[in-house]
Amino acid sequence: MEQPKQPRQDKMTPPERMHAIVTRQRPDRVPFIPFIFGFCALNVGYPVRAVYEDAEKSFWAQMWTAEMFGYDGGPLYGYASFGGWEFGGEVKMPQSQWEAAPVVTRFPAKTPEEVEALEVPEVETAGAMPIAIEFAKIQQQFGMPVTVQGGGPFTVAGNVSEVDVLCRWLMKKPEIAHLLMKKVTQFLKKVADYFVEKFPGHPIMAFTGEPTAANQIISPKQFEEFVLPYLMDSHQHFIDKGINNIFCHICGEQNLNLPHWAKVPFGDPGLLSFGHEVDLTKAIEIFGDQHVILGNVEPRVIQEGTWQEVYELSKQCIEKGKFAPSGYILMAGCDVPVMAPPYNLYVMKKAVMDYGFYD
Amino acid sequence: MVTDERKREILKGLHDGVVEYDEDRVVELSEAAVGEGMDAYEAIMDGLAAGMETVGKLYDSQEYFVPEVLMCSDALYKGLDILKPHMKDAGEKVKGQVVIGTVEGDVHDIGKNLVKMMFEVAGFTVHDLGRDVKLERFVDEQLKTDSEIVALSALMTTSMLAMPKVIEMIRSKNPNVKVMVGGAPVSGEVADKYGADGYADNAANAVQEAINMVASLREMK
Repeated sequence: MEQPKQPRQDKMTPPERMHAIVTRQRPDRVPFIPFIFGFCALNVGYPVRAVYEDAEKSFWAQMWTAEMFGYDGGPLYGYASFGGWEFGGEVKMPQSQWEAAPVVTRFPAKTPEEVEALEVPEVETAGAMPIAIEFAKIQQQFGMPVTVQGGGPFTVAGNVSEVDVLCRWLMKKPEIAHLLMKKVTQFLKKVADYFVEKFPGHPIMAFTGEPTAANQIISPKQFEEFVLPYLMDSHQHFIDKGINNIFCHICGEQNLNLPHWAKVPFGDPGLLSFGHEVDLTKAIEIFGDQHVILGNVEPRVIQEGTWQEVYELSKQCIEKGKFAPSGYILMAGCDVPVMAPPYNLYVMKKAVMDYGFYD
Repeated sequence: MVTDERKREILKGLHDGVVEYDEDRVVELSEAAVGEGMDAYEAIMDGLAAGMETVGKLYDSQEYFVPEVLMCSDALYKGLDILKPHMKDAGEKVKGQVVIGTVEGDVHDIGKNLVKMMFEVAGFTVHDLGRDVKLERFVDEQLKTDSEIVALSALMTTSMLAMPKVIEMIRSKNPNVKVMVGGAPVSGEVADKYGADGYADNAANAVQEAINMVASLREMK
């Protein structure tokens, strides 16, 4: 362990720092947004499910945890299995100690006939949307940007049909895969339209992610055919509706997809977060001129590693990302594990305070 | 009696049929193998399983991805359904028994299903508990079937934490059972930390690891 660093003082508040980042100015130091949901609930004594099923508790669990650990960025609502419940299926909220997030327990369209019959849901009543809308109202009340979950379309489609079913359709029934993607994209656009209408004149940020489009599952060629057009269409729609910044989590092993991701609009600037599988230097090379880069401390290490390992990984990320042309934010490579030792989260902030200042 | 040349032709066809996910070809050649008196076990191992081994290599080299692998797996099962009932001395060819499942809290089972398939083609009897499996069920199923191996899968970091608990529960009932773990967030280091006997980063290696473990168990007996 090296000598303790001289403690530094922040010169900006978290909102000032985030404002600097999205207006392409250099903040006092690298911001730190962990990417954290269920952890916050447990941290304040709620069950994990509270962060997904109770807007008020979700908001405050995130606020209080941010205050406790001193990180940036406001609370947001969303979940990776988005789409299954919204299109008429069922989800199970996390219950046991081994569960971190909602999972789809009944997929609404597992056959071509069900896809053909699938109706684009009404936003206001679809699945978790009432919770998301209530959450957005609290964000508005506290003067924060409203966040809207915007996909990604392929991941949502996998939550509607089940991933292995969708994978088989890519090969055997591409027309059904495209039909599902069209319906999903239509829904995501409707969601954005609803939020824009519901919160006129208020800043809105879209939150998207595509774990199911990772190369651990599909090929770059399949990405180009089945993901890219719908991702571009939905993101462009968000931007056309006045959503200036899209926070997109490019989850998992996406290295072969990066040339395709480079064609996707993300707003000005977009905020692009990467899993640990994508090297930050490479991400900055491809996207750093236009967009803010976020990432990518490996979640497994945050959960299983020593605090020294987490601190070292965070330091390496900061050193790689700090001088990215459009800015850099320290973040985990995916959702911070619910059962991660709290001290491991603290040392991510400590690394930012030790190595993240610009002067 | 099938000639050597015809046998080679059928085996190559089964191999290629799996690799090219050509279900019709696999069905046709599996039926031919049975109809022409070829050893079904040989057709499975040197035809279908050999094909899947090639598929594994194509996945590792990022020429195939999950959609292609699933199609190959579907083709393989078509052949297996025809050939398996014709295996002679099936009992002798069984390499061991495996209880497999994705642990409680985790519904991701694509990887688990591929490992299951590899176990089946390698001649193991597989007891598949599915996904989001309550921890006690692994213990109960192992005791009920007297399986030598329990294979645990997880994709989520939180669900992964159930693995050391299951291992402890299994060991307390039956210390000789071998437990192997796998899934995207799992590493060799994590497997050691959790007290697992085996870890593999892909389906083919999982089977090889299991074969080694069963061999060591039988030596002990």
